[in-house]
Amino acid sequence: MDNITEKLAPIRKGLLEFVILKIVSADKVYVADMLKLLGPTEFATQEGTLYPLLSKLRREELVDYEWQESDAGPPRKYYKLTPKGRTQLSTLNDYWKDLNRTLAEFGN
Amino acid sequence: MQKVVSISLNGNSYQLEEPGYEQLRAYLERAESRLKDSPDRAEVMADLEQAVSEKCRTTLGPHKTVVSTLEVERIISEMGPVESADEKSAHADTEGGSSGATYSAWPPRKRLFRIREGAMWAGVCNGIAAYLNVDVTWVRIAFVLLTLFTGVWFFVYLVLLFVMPVANTAEDRAAAFGMPFNTEELISRAKKNFEEFNQQFKWRREWRRQQRHWHRQFRQMNEQLRVATAQAAPAMNQTARAVGGLFVVVAALFSAVIAVALVLALISLFTQHSIFGWLLPFDIPLWVVALVLVALYLAISAPLRMIRYGGHQQGGYHPGWGALHGLMWIGFTVLMFWGAYTFFPGVREVVDQLMWAANLTVTTISETIV
Repeated sequence: MDNITEKLAPIRKGLLEFVILKIVSADKVYVADMLKLLGPTEFATQEGTLYPLLSKLRREELVDYEWQESDAGPPRKYYKLTPKGRTQLSTLNDYWKDLNRTLAEFGN
Repeated sequence: MQKVVSISLNGNSYQLEEPGYEQLRAYLERAESRLKDSPDRAEVMADLEQAVSEKCRTTLGPHKTVVSTLEVERIISEMGPVESADEKSAHADTEGGSSGATYSAWPPRKRLFRIREGAMWAGVCNGIAAYLNVDVTWVRIAFVLLTLFTGVWFFVYLVLLFVMPVANTAEDRAAAFGMPFNTEELISRAKKNFEEFNQQFKWRREWRRQQRHWHRQFRQMNEQLRVATAQAAPAMNQTARAVGGLFVVVAALFSAVIAVALVLALISLFTQHSIFGWLLPFDIPLWVVALVLVALYLAISAPLRMIRYGGHQQGGYHPGWGALHGLMWIGFTVLMFWGAYTFFPGVREVVDQLMWAANLTVTTISETIV
């Protein structure tokens, strides 16, 4: 089982960006919220991975953030999708559907 | 009682127990070096500090003002290793995605590791071979030869033993063919490895094992030499003796030549920064060149010495030859120095200066005594 999990790690890694775009598209989110959402799933991840990824996505202008005051401590970065990110997400969605169709065509 | 270190994370001050502080600092330094090539480095570092800061805050209360080492450890493990998002994709493309068990992505650069698999002793040579992309046998031969001829190389090996990390995971082994190797990391790693080594008292065991190994090798070598000379002895007749006599002369001349060459090279190195007119590339420190020269000298002269000592053991070799060799060596050396002094103005200058300095020292000393 562990062996399988390890084998599939590159797939999960590659899909993480897609998953993040999906999460960000639903609502403005804070990193701690993302981690909480991802925690129970196969995509469980940590700050050490997420922050560099989000910075990269922002550099590619797929997401943006705004500062929001919080009651517990300093202002926080809330991430949201940019128009470019939305296009990218729909492309990825289509591609994912195509992949699934292809996989289905090869049978079980 | 624990010493406490005050730190500031994104504008907030926290008090950490000292070991915890060291760990956090190491974690952030590692993160920064991982993100070295990322254009988002500053931003990600600020984000990470912010995240650590928030996690620290949750551990504190009205009657708890210090973050304990255990809590820092927990925070670091929650944060997870930092990996640059850009490198991950680049790496996955080229390497087909290395092991995903650990999430770290090394930059695709060479890095020195000790590789235990197929190692003779500690895997140093193996690692170097992997790093240089050559067959391990060549590295071993080079190490053994250099150790035999110049004792210094044994210490080089020891230093490498402590400095080079062992490639434990599949990822490390992949990186043995790539990874950064900066000084700070190197020193801290050497310290860590040495502490571990020391702690486990393993070094005693390793040392004894190594000593046994050497003894064994030495005995074997002696035995082989004895057998070889015993076989060669009957063939040793009058002509061979004559050749031996001639050899003593040639050997003495040759040793003298390379000894003088070494001294002249050193003199010209330190006075003119060149070796017999060959200008050094200016970024090489002088002492390195000097060491290389001495090593070269030892490497060239060692076989001669070995042949001579081998001859001694053979019985057919008269002890008088040794004395003769020594006398001739001195004679040739003096002769050549005289020649160099007479015909090369640079050498004369240096020798005169040395004599003058020696004179001055002697007169100063005698004056102070009187």
